[in-house]
Amino acid sequence: MLSNFLSYIVQGTGVTIAVTLIALPFGLLIGLLLALLYNYGNRWVARSAGIYSLLMRGVPPIVLLFILYFILSGRLINLSPFWAGSLSLGLVSSAYQMEILRGALAAVGAGQMTAARAIGLTRLQAIRYVILPQAIRLAIPPWSNEASIVLKDSSLVYALGVPEILRRAQQLSATTGQPFLAFGAAALIYFCLVFLTNRALDYLAEKTKLPTQPV
Amino acid sequence: MKRLWLWFSLVLVLSLLLASCGQNAGGSRLKAIQQAGVIKVGTSADYPPFEFVDANGNTTGFDVELMNEIGKRLGVKVEWVDMPFDSLIAGVQEGKIDAAIAAFNYSEDRDKVVDFSDVYYTSEDAFTVVEGSSLTINDPAQDLLSLKLGVQTGTTQDDWLTALVDEGKLPADNLARYDRVDQIALDLKNGRIDVMMSDAVPAEALAKQLGGLKVIYKGVLSSGPMNIVLPEGEADLAKAINEILAQLKAEGFIENLAIKYFAE
Amino acid sequence: MASSLILQAKNLTKIYGENVIFRDISLDVRKGETIVIIGPSGTGKSTLLRCLNLLTRVNSGQIFLEGREITAPGTNEDQVREQIGMVFQNFLLFNHLTALENVMLGLTKVKKLPKEQARQKAMQELSRVGLADRAGHYPAQLSGGQQQRVAIARALAMDPKVMLFDEPTSALDPELIGEVLGVMAQLARDNMTMLVVTHEMGFAREVADRIVFMEKGSIVEQGAPDDLFERPQHARTREFLWKITELYGKKEKP
Repeated sequence: MLSNFLSYIVQGTGVTIAVTLIALPFGLLIGLLLALLYNYGNRWVARSAGIYSLLMRGVPPIVLLFILYFILSGRLINLSPFWAGSLSLGLVSSAYQMEILRGALAAVGAGQMTAARAIGLTRLQAIRYVILPQAIRLAIPPWSNEASIVLKDSSLVYALGVPEILRRAQQLSATTGQPFLAFGAAALIYFCLVFLTNRALDYLAEKTKLPTQPV
Repeated sequence: MKRLWLWFSLVLVLSLLLASCGQNAGGSRLKAIQQAGVIKVGTSADYPPFEFVDANGNTTGFDVELMNEIGKRLGVKVEWVDMPFDSLIAGVQEGKIDAAIAAFNYSEDRDKVVDFSDVYYTSEDAFTVVEGSSLTINDPAQDLLSLKLGVQTGTTQDDWLTALVDEGKLPADNLARYDRVDQIALDLKNGRIDVMMSDAVPAEALAKQLGGLKVIYKGVLSSGPMNIVLPEGEADLAKAINEILAQLKAEGFIENLAIKYFAE
Repeated sequence: MASSLILQAKNLTKIYGENVIFRDISLDVRKGETIVIIGPSGTGKSTLLRCLNLLTRVNSGQIFLEGREITAPGTNEDQVREQIGMVFQNFLLFNHLTALENVMLGLTKVKKLPKEQARQKAMQELSRVGLADRAGHYPAQLSGGQQQRVAIARALAMDPKVMLFDEPTSALDPELIGEVLGVMAQLARDNMTMLVVTHEMGFAREVADRIVFMEKGSIVEQGAPDDLFERPQHARTREFLWKITELYGKKEKP
């Protein structure tokens, strides 16, 4: 019976991973777009992107989840709890990813853009071939942090009834009367997921690191 | 870039407009449910024995079986949606689920935003002693304090007695907790405890089964009448469900369920 | 001096807010000519270069590239910059690309050359600046002088009609200046059209066909190096030359 229960919690891992795999790239897409608008758009565009970031970071993720699922979904678009949850987390994350990326873009420096334009690259080409490859390298370590946060925040979708790890642990804690076991198992799974994610991104950072040693 | 942003704001404004005017356009929820052949019922499967997940990962419990029977009699399938208890009212309110059953007690605050079915079960508490005992209980909060009590772990009765202990009224040594109600009954017969506090339905069932026991007090102390949460203003749905509840009470279905879930 | 005009600036004025960077500057650059612009810091020399390849917009005036006005509305600025090479004070190599890739980027993305062809052309340019053996090195693995030579190769690869040098040796340690100036002198001998902003008076005297002295946002005087250095017409030119030789004299002292 106990192994049944534990496997029941483990089944939630798939949901947790799926939510993260939707929220993170969705947030990256929007975050990147906003970071580019913020750094290279005109004053009003940049200001709007800044306000978006401020709003998204200022609202607790759970509130955004409720707004998207209970209020917007069903009137605009029909979103299942799973998608409403994943996309809300993506929206929240987009603001943080925007901050990471705009910091990275700024750190690349205006000179690189000037040099790229000077050989005749268009603005978009310069961003694509010169600025982004450098910015993304700079963004990997803070982004790794954000990935862990989204992974752990994915537990919030339980509030919409998506049976991910935490919700399953709650149910089992109630049924078995063994909260330590149930939540301990959940904590262990989260830890493993975060650990593996960070290691994978560390590896990526190491792989893409530019050589500095004189040869 | 400018144009892109224009599109962005346009979509945003459009969304907000839609959001403000797209409210549910009346109509009978009951018909919609019957047409779909499915009623979506929310519960919070972390409250045994009313609703919980069994060893195979299935949602079950007193409320769950009751609602499945109601669904059967409505001629529709019940689709269970598990949510945290706190999300259920919002779920019914916003039409994400057609009903919620999770040992809800009626409250005026909740009644402002959702409707309630008739009471489907009143969780009455009972005090049981050995036959031939001369104990009487009139005011439980007073009369119990010097007695040795047995209660099932994690029940509402456990909470109620534990509160007395926490308030310093009931000595902690006087309270014995058991995994199962029949264990309490055995200790009661053996004289290790004076009184068993439990749900009334299983108490009477046990007294009948085991013999040598009598219920000396019944009353609502630790819990109360339970209702199904229904969407606001859906009179057809409420009527249909209330009729089925009346049938189920008359047939003894609910009492049997109570014995099944609260006596073991 | 009969050769054709490559770049022509007419009455250029640049103002940042209240700040006049330069006013009413006119300059003709002929094919094969090496012009060195000298003058005190903050007199708008660098801004002038950036205006000439449209990295910065002038407030008024016209610029012509081979007779075509590039300040006219509707001009494809990217095409203009492709034809005007620029070398910066702080090199500005693309940090994430090797020396070879730095030179290749414009060839593949702007000139749309096939990769192999671009590689060959890039290697030629690296050889021209003496760095064929550093092709696989990243900027961080190169000395400042080497980085600047790669930057020159990067600009040359686009086959520019004119090369702009914005204080190309100011950020270099003294012992690295020579290799960069050497490459530039060779370019001048190869008849590249060049416009150089620098404080290297030795280079100016030796390599330039014409010296332009700029101060406080305007051209004070211009002429052949010997004329300007030996017989400056204006007191301000004399003063500047005196100051800068004194500076160099101090620098020479151990």
